[in-house]
Amino acid sequence: MTRPSLARLTAVFGWIGLASLGGGRSAYFHDALVVRLRWLRDEEFLQDLAVSQVMPGPNFSNLAVALGHRLRGYPGAACALVALVLPGGLLFLALAISLREGVAPGAAHVLAGMGAAVVGLILVMTWRILRVGLRGRVGVLLAAGTFLAVGPLRLPTYVGIAAMIVLGLWLNRPRASEALTPRGADCQREQDGQREQE
Amino acid sequence: MMDLLRVAWTFLWLSFLCIGGGLGIVPEIERQAVSAHQWITSREFVDAYTIAQLTPGPNMKIAAFIGYAARGPLGALVAAVAMFVPPAILTALVSQHWGRFRGRPWARASERTLAAIGMGLMAGGCYTLARSAIHDVPSGAIAVGAALVMMTGRVSPLPVVLAAGLVGWLLP
Repeated sequence: MTRPSLARLTAVFGWIGLASLGGGRSAYFHDALVVRLRWLRDEEFLQDLAVSQVMPGPNFSNLAVALGHRLRGYPGAACALVALVLPGGLLFLALAISLREGVAPGAAHVLAGMGAAVVGLILVMTWRILRVGLRGRVGVLLAAGTFLAVGPLRLPTYVGIAAMIVLGLWLNRPRASEALTPRGADCQREQDGQREQE
Repeated sequence: MMDLLRVAWTFLWLSFLCIGGGLGIVPEIERQAVSAHQWITSREFVDAYTIAQLTPGPNMKIAAFIGYAARGPLGALVAAVAMFVPPAILTALVSQHWGRFRGRPWARASERTLAAIGMGLMAGGCYTLARSAIHDVPSGAIAVGAALVMMTGRVSPLPVVLAAGLVGWLLP
């Protein structure tokens, strides 16, 4: 495995940031860092993906940070974050601010149409993720409870999350059988591997 | 100065609620930015989210726009830093040790719990955006049409959204 220089890392992450439109974005990193450049092995990538999904914060930038940290330590993490967020962020700000200042008359109608389409798109993307990722009765219960709390019931998000974390940790609590037999742990790890491959 | 601190604090705690992707905290961002602090309107929020979806990089760059609306360029910078940097530091710290923690029973329980909650939050984000963006028959029809086209799996999102913009412009 070769480890890149900071400049190269910044360039590659910046390019991934600019190329990553639409959904399924972690796949861009996998394609570039594991498949094409061979800076990382699959297991390393999957481990960083898991971290980025468990840690709070924007997922996509957290993934960049975890990968950048693995490749070049804390400077790598910092370069990864800036490279990923800054170019698209500036483009976004320029567009959003100019539209807000009313630079383009008629833009309101265009944006209303695009906004409605975005709702359709994220519904489909969310449905796909739920179909693959939601496993077991406990998972469905937790997801449904969270949805009801922050969606229709309009409860503050921290209330919904706190309640569901308590409930979820209790329902998912380690059982004695699972913790004690090493075979159980192995099976679990295999299942994990399969889930990640999907 | 108080404004800037309020922007920083709001996006700091929002960033730590962000589980399973930025879409999950859309309801809470909308509540804070539109209802609680009135930095932007509901319409501006949907428009900004749409533009964020169309431009490269993480969607949570929407924080920078809200910060800008609240307090100008400095507000944009403060909001973006509050949204991205603290979770990044935490992630970098934890990622070093994750390999050791991962096999432990309680780490597994947390992972499963957070994954399910994250998915519920995403669904909540869809709900909030739908409520703000769909308000009549044409916008509902555009959303359904875009969803149907996406479900075929043959078209990438960008042309679908651009085409919908054209439809929105042509409709009265």
